Amino acid sequence: MNRKGFSSSFDYLEKELASLSPSLAADFRRALAKMPPVWGPDDIVRWAQEGLELARLAWRAWEASAEYYLASPQVLGLLGSVSFWEWARHGRELTSVSSALAAAYYRASPSTLPIIGPEGLGRWVGLGRHLYKGSWRSASLAVQFFEHSPTLFGVMSLAEASVLVRFLDVLCDRSYDLASHCLGVAPHVLRPLQGEDRLAFLRFAEELAAAGWADARAYLERGPGLLAQVEPSQRARFLSLASRIVSEEGRQAFAYFAEAGRALSQVPPELHGHLLGLAEQVASNSPVAAMEFLKSLPRVLPRLKLSELGDWHREGLQVLQMNQEGGEAYFRLESNRAEEMLDALSSRLELNKVSDVLRMYCKALTGADVAIHSAEALAQKGIGWVRTETATTEGSAIFLPPAVDEFEDKARNFSIYKVYATHQAGHLEFGSFLFRFEAPGNVFPTLRLEREQKRLQEREASDGHRQPLTDMERFFDLFDNRRLAADLFAIAEDTRIDACILREYAGIRADYRLTQVRELERRPPIEELPLVEAFMENLVRASLGGADHLSWPASLMPLLKEALAVLEAVQKPAATVEDAAEATIRLYELVASLPNVSMDESQEDWQNPEEADTAQVSPMSGAGQAEQQSQQIQGEEQPYRSPQPVEFRGEFKPELVQLLGRLRQERQAQQPPSPLSPEQIKALLEKSVEIDLQDGGEQDLQQSSNLFLTNLKRELAQEEQEAQKDKQRDRRRTTGLSTPDPSDQPLAPEPRYYFYDEWDFRAGDYKPRWCRIVEYTVAEGTASYFDQTLNRYSALVNQTRRQFELLKPELFRKIKRLLDGEELDMDAVVDYLVEREAGVSPPGKVYWRRNKVERDVAVAFLLDMSASTDEEIVKHTRRLTPDDFDDDPRKYFAWWMSRRAQELLSPPKRIIDVEKESIVLLIRALETIGDTYGIYGFSGYGRENVEFYVIKELEEPFGERVKRRIDKISPVRSTRMGPAIRHATYKLEQVDAKVRILFLVSDGRPQDHGYGRDRTEKEYAIHDTHMALLEAKRRGVVPFCLTVDRYGHDYLKQMCQDVGYAVVPDVESLPSRITQLYRELTR
Amino acid sequence: MGPADGPSCRKGKVNGSMDERTTYRQYAIEEYVLEEEPFYLPVADEVELFTAAYEQKIPVLLKGPTGCGKTRFVEYMAYRLGRPVTIVRDVTGQDTARTGLPLVTVACHEDLTASDLVGRYLLEGETTRWIDGPLTRAVKAGAICYLDEIVEARKDTTVLIHPLTDHRRILPIEKLGQVVEARDGFLLVISYNPGYQSALKDLKHSTRQRFMAIEFTYPPREVEAKVIEHESGVSREMAEALAKLGEKVRNLKEHGLAEGVSTRLLIYAGKLIASGIPPRRACQVAVVWALTDDRDVQRSIQEVVNSIFE
Ligand SMILES: Nc1ncnc2c1ncn2[C@@H]1O[C@H](COP(=O)(O)OP(=O)(O)O)[C@@H](O)[C@H]1O
Ligand SMILES: [Mg+2]
Repeated sequence: MNRKGFSSSFDYLEKELASLSPSLAADFRRALAKMPPVWGPDDIVRWAQEGLELARLAWRAWEASAEYYLASPQVLGLLGSVSFWEWARHGRELTSVSSALAAAYYRASPSTLPIIGPEGLGRWVGLGRHLYKGSWRSASLAVQFFEHSPTLFGVMSLAEASVLVRFLDVLCDRSYDLASHCLGVAPHVLRPLQGEDRLAFLRFAEELAAAGWADARAYLERGPGLLAQVEPSQRARFLSLASRIVSEEGRQAFAYFAEAGRALSQVPPELHGHLLGLAEQVASNSPVAAMEFLKSLPRVLPRLKLSELGDWHREGLQVLQMNQEGGEAYFRLESNRAEEMLDALSSRLELNKVSDVLRMYCKALTGADVAIHSAEALAQKGIGWVRTETATTEGSAIFLPPAVDEFEDKARNFSIYKVYATHQAGHLEFGSFLFRFEAPGNVFPTLRLEREQKRLQEREASDGHRQPLTDMERFFDLFDNRRLAADLFAIAEDTRIDACILREYAGIRADYRLTQVRELERRPPIEELPLVEAFMENLVRASLGGADHLSWPASLMPLLKEALAVLEAVQKPAATVEDAAEATIRLYELVASLPNVSMDESQEDWQNPEEADTAQVSPMSGAGQAEQQSQQIQGEEQPYRSPQPVEFRGEFKPELVQLLGRLRQERQAQQPPSPLSPEQIKALLEKSVEIDLQDGGEQDLQQSSNLFLTNLKRELAQEEQEAQKDKQRDRRRTTGLSTPDPSDQPLAPEPRYYFYDEWDFRAGDYKPRWCRIVEYTVAEGTASYFDQTLNRYSALVNQTRRQFELLKPELFRKIKRLLDGEELDMDAVVDYLVEREAGVSPPGKVYWRRNKVERDVAVAFLLDMSASTDEEIVKHTRRLTPDDFDDDPRKYFAWWMSRRAQELLSPPKRIIDVEKESIVLLIRALETIGDTYGIYGFSGYGRENVEFYVIKELEEPFGERVKRRIDKISPVRSTRMGPAIRHATYKLEQVDAKVRILFLVSDGRPQDHGYGRDRTEKEYAIHDTHMALLEAKRRGVVPFCLTVDRYGHDYLKQMCQDVGYAVVPDVESLPSRITQLYRELTR
Repeated sequence: MGPADGPSCRKGKVNGSMDERTTYRQYAIEEYVLEEEPFYLPVADEVELFTAAYEQKIPVLLKGPTGCGKTRFVEYMAYRLGRPVTIVRDVTGQDTARTGLPLVTVACHEDLTASDLVGRYLLEGETTRWIDGPLTRAVKAGAICYLDEIVEARKDTTVLIHPLTDHRRILPIEKLGQVVEARDGFLLVISYNPGYQSALKDLKHSTRQRFMAIEFTYPPREVEAKVIEHESGVSREMAEALAKLGEKVRNLKEHGLAEGVSTRLLIYAGKLIASGIPPRRACQVAVVWALTDDRDVQRSIQEVVNSIFE
């Protein structure tokens, strides 16, 4: 049938269409021409008519109609006749709702339908329809959905899309912009995800959105990236685990997902399955705990082996089953139990756990103030040491690897540390760095001076010789091949040190030998090395006591034997570092004759020197002979490489250490700071083989030597400070004096840090090292505040002083009528005699004695310096209102003026002011009875920042400085009482007193950011404070709480259970009450 | 020689205990005379110094940490200067039966009062009777009086010795209204440990200015090894190892330890070893645990022990 035949019959239709929109008719004509030849005239007419009806459905429906016509040719081709009409029906329905929606539908159809097929049509339309809620914004989202459909379905299935739509639907409730954005990015972000994962991902998105829309966008955008970190086969599992948390934690869920995902990315992927399995076990009790478990993995796994992790996990499960909060804290690593478990299970030993012990151990061995640090720290200093996992020393401190995890148990790992430390301490104890060029050795005759003489003569003509900076440098100047000489010296000196240690410390022999044997097993195959290196390797092995691990060409055997004899000699008890140097010269001479060439194994007969004894190949002996032999060896000379390092001996850099030592001495002698010039340093660096600078030419060398010099200077300055700190710490240990020497005082402004656990009553466990106390000394104001206050309160001052004076004699009372004592009590004697005369046999209690109990009290006052103490004290006087002035504004104004004037004269008092005044009075009183007292304040914000202010240290004498500090007491921030109490307790523990009192003065309940689950929770803080008070009691400190909070009884009952407390409702009476309470407390 | 019988024994009293009929307490006096020369190894010139001080009647302050041989040194000197020794352990004791107490040692403690040193009235029958305290008896007998750990005593008691330490060499006895002049051989020796310095327990300047001071430190390794060997009966090597331990542990003084380990403790360790206790264990109980309660410090010292002993 000729379609053109119809054209005239559409005249009417076209006119109608044109009346609706001129372009519509044109669109129709264009579409008509493209319609596939499937239909008879009836269908075509029906089709054409359908468009007109569409266009008439609503105003602007012609737009939909136009799209209908334009899409039709393709759609008909795709769907066939039957489905086409269904398609049209959907379209008409959509048009009746919104022509824009329909237009989008029609427009998207040709590219979408091939993907979803005729069977997907209904669901597809349904999804778009679903998004439309009648509003303009919903329409635009639905339109967007249709528009994006081709790309969307290019990525996902209909089933997935329906989840996505549900997700969008939820978002719409909050924000169409958000929904629209998410729809826009969906195809792109979801593309990387694989089948099953995508559905799981979308499901989680839906749940997440239902719980809290805020993170939806973040999830959608960043989620796939996070998910990609998870091992592919485990992603769906992880997502379903994550979605379990939604119902419980709602808005936090995304954070958990993200953090757990990140955590997993730091863990080997092959473990993901196993770990998620463990997490699932936890999830049945608490999804939160499961996520916490995953989050903690990066911190836990380095410390535990997989089997140990199982134990740790099991323990956590048990805690969880008993107490959910406890279990969650456990897996979050915020419980002492978790830490202890970790510690108990882990075989890995971290340096910071043992550095104090090792430091004192090394201090004992060497008698010097050696610090122990991680080798990483030394490498960072940039002063020549580069290896981060190796033990070494720079002369004042010993550096050890940050952790040891070689053995299955901690004790054996500790023994590794101990061997490392002992060897380094050995260098200090047995004087490796005290080498003096001109000092003779005890074992070898001295060759050094002669050798130097000879070299100087040889050199004289050529270049001007620079004066060496250190003895060590001077020594190495004796050799052409400094590296070889340095390596030989290291071997000789290490051998000597090890011999000294084994001789002096019988107890460490076993561990030491074990370590040596392990080192021997790690040595490289000797026969493959070129000759010089093989020679060195033999020496290293011999120095490790590995006589049976030696191997050397038989023809050169005498050479090695001579070398071994030299090495033997440095092990003699009398040998000194100078002997090691002499040995170096002799060994150097022996090596010098050897070419560094690879030996053909087949040609040469490698032997152990001991075997060689029995099966003597050549009757010749003596090194001279061997030398001749070696000259006949042919082969290509290879560049010399130092022997593989011996692990437990670490790095040995005597030249640098001596340089540092010289610089240190110069500093101490207060000579002009370092007369060493960059030029000198540069020269040294060029020569020394102990430092590796990039050899990038002259410029670079200049730069790196400058850098090196700055680093050195900084290091030396720091060292002094460190040494001070260590000393203070130890002094605290020994004497319990917390006050540093007066000479240390200028250091005061630098804050000092302390860590304390915090009690989590829900978890029933402590959160380890949870709070950081930052201790400051209060700045100084003027002393006049103190004196003025005393004047103002002079009556009260006198009264309290009298009361306190009364305390004293009570304590030196005579105790009478004793069987034994200082003196006879004459009254009692008379009674006694009278009674005896009367025939009664009296008890002989006729002595008296002074009560020996001296008053020995130490008290720490702990003042609440929280912001609330800034509050003015509300007077109980009735507030006058304008009504009281009979509406006479003049009277009111007069009253107001006078009140203002008064306020200006004496500004309204704040709680802190009263606290300060009380302190002034207390000091007066305490000075009369001579109790040891400290005054501290606390405040802060958050657990990381609990501020602890020192106004007067316990053992600090009272004086002008203290007066001036009182002036500066002022309100700061929050009230985290627990850590402040713990710190004050710690301070009290450091003083020697029979009675120790902690006197807390506060103005309200404890509260701080994060001191409780949320802002409204108060119990947590109360419990922690209570626990801190009990801890104090357990440590022999008597805690007492005083509050000026009128409503304090409410919580004090709980907070101060088993602890004394008092409420002073009338704040202004605090000064008199506080002294009275103190008196009663210490009577 | 058994416990000395005081006058109360004449009244049929049981040794040292209270009785209904007696009106005062009787303390046993522990007393012994050294028959052999006490073993003492001079470390420096302390023997010469002390001898000179004795000849010149200069009071002596022995300064040094606990257990470094001060007491032993005084005993040795007393012997050398030709005097047998009596030690009075409890200061309220009395001994009228014997005269002349050539060396009187008083261990000072915080309850030690002036009357404990000088003397007091006792009830006897219907009257009171004065009884000399150890210091008075030493003054009268011309003995060496050794006040051990003088800072432990109450402050008022230390003032009491002042008149004895200058040219007057007298002891005023207030209660009797008497002044006793010191007999020729009398010498006052006090000991003082500057180690646990605290403001409370420091020797008053007015007191310390009256004595010449001999400083004692722990003997050097070789001497100490000989002392340990002699006193505990361990082998030469073991004694040397113990002395080495002593030296190492003393390095920790002021760095974790208030005081280094005393020779006495090392001897104890040696004695335990001589009785068959394994060396590491012996050092643990006699040295490590005896020295400190600080876990880390204990651990460190134990590690030193473990390094030295197999
Ligand atoms: N130089 C020494 N000669 C002999 N024995 C010594 C020496 N130094 C210390 N001692 C031993 O040390 C132990 C403790 O000495 P001691 O005199 O009681 O110490 P101090 O009186 O100083 O506290 C003594 O039993 C003694 O065996
Ligand atoms: Mg003694």
